[in-house]
Amino acid sequence: MHEASIANSILEISIGTAIENNSNKITLVSVRIGKMATIDESSLRFAFDAIKENTIAEHAVFEFNRVPLLGVCADCSHEAEYPGYFVACAECGSMSIKMISGDELEIAHIEVE
Amino acid sequence: MEKITINQKILSKNDLNAMHLRNKFATNKTLVINMMSSPGSGKTSFLEKVLLRLKDKYNIAVIEGDLQTENDKQRIEAIGVRAIQIQTGGACHLEASEIDKKCQELGYENLDLLVIENVGNLVCPAEYDLGQDINIVMLSVTEGDDKPLKYPNIFFNSDIFILNKIDLLPYVDFSVEKALANARTIKNSLDIFQISCRNDEGLDNLQAYIETKILAKKRCS
Repeated sequence: MHEASIANSILEISIGTAIENNSNKITLVSVRIGKMATIDESSLRFAFDAIKENTIAEHAVFEFNRVPLLGVCADCSHEAEYPGYFVACAECGSMSIKMISGDELEIAHIEVE
Repeated sequence: MEKITINQKILSKNDLNAMHLRNKFATNKTLVINMMSSPGSGKTSFLEKVLLRLKDKYNIAVIEGDLQTENDKQRIEAIGVRAIQIQTGGACHLEASEIDKKCQELGYENLDLLVIENVGNLVCPAEYDLGQDINIVMLSVTEGDDKPLKYPNIFFNSDIFILNKIDLLPYVDFSVEKALANARTIKNSLDIFQISCRNDEGLDNLQAYIETKILAKKRCS
């Protein structure tokens, strides 16, 4: 539901970075989105494509990388990938799982000409 | 072709604004609570009840977020607490910059407790840091007891889970046991309170909890 504002932030940061690097054409924008980040890929792509018109990113390819949810058990240190927040540790049954990755909302890099 | 590494959070503008807000609240020793739930869970009713009990001891203000109307602001003002409304138009959440603007209107100084009543929505508000100390997620027993599993992020990002309208339990098929187990599956460390804003059940505990947090924030330097 808030993909449009996320897309807007992605575009702002991308364009700002390109201009700082004396470029006026962005060819690729790569993002890392965690499994639990409540971001729908198609909505984000739609929003990004809509707002990139008439900017230096208008021909940019949008690369969407989904980051899996990884957790580590606070009691036995077992690391595992989880399908969602959080079930008991498969090793020791503890409910104290800490997140390693899975909530990312990050721009990884851009490519410019 | 040149690759430029960024590795930056996408929400960084909001995160940065939230960090500045958090510093201002720390300087002024203001406890900030962000309340989130679906529409109709009873956020405003809860605030009417609990702030009425606290308003003579502490300096309190409420920021109300809704798409339209000033109805909730008027309800809070009716119990004698300062309130300020944000009408988001269509936006599904509040952002830190809006909170800063409203706090400048309210005045940052001498505020013991600021409550932000977020837009009724279990999805988007979970993603936006507002400089708060405590995130509260509220669920009412007229909703599904599987909501913590359906909307895990908001439960994972919360510190307190309030189950409201427990006076209605005899009339609905809601399982408290399942709801609490589901919430604990998402986040084991949630502080859980069961309340009714109609018969005041459970409000004493929650009032005491909030007062403890207000005083703890006062002691922080």
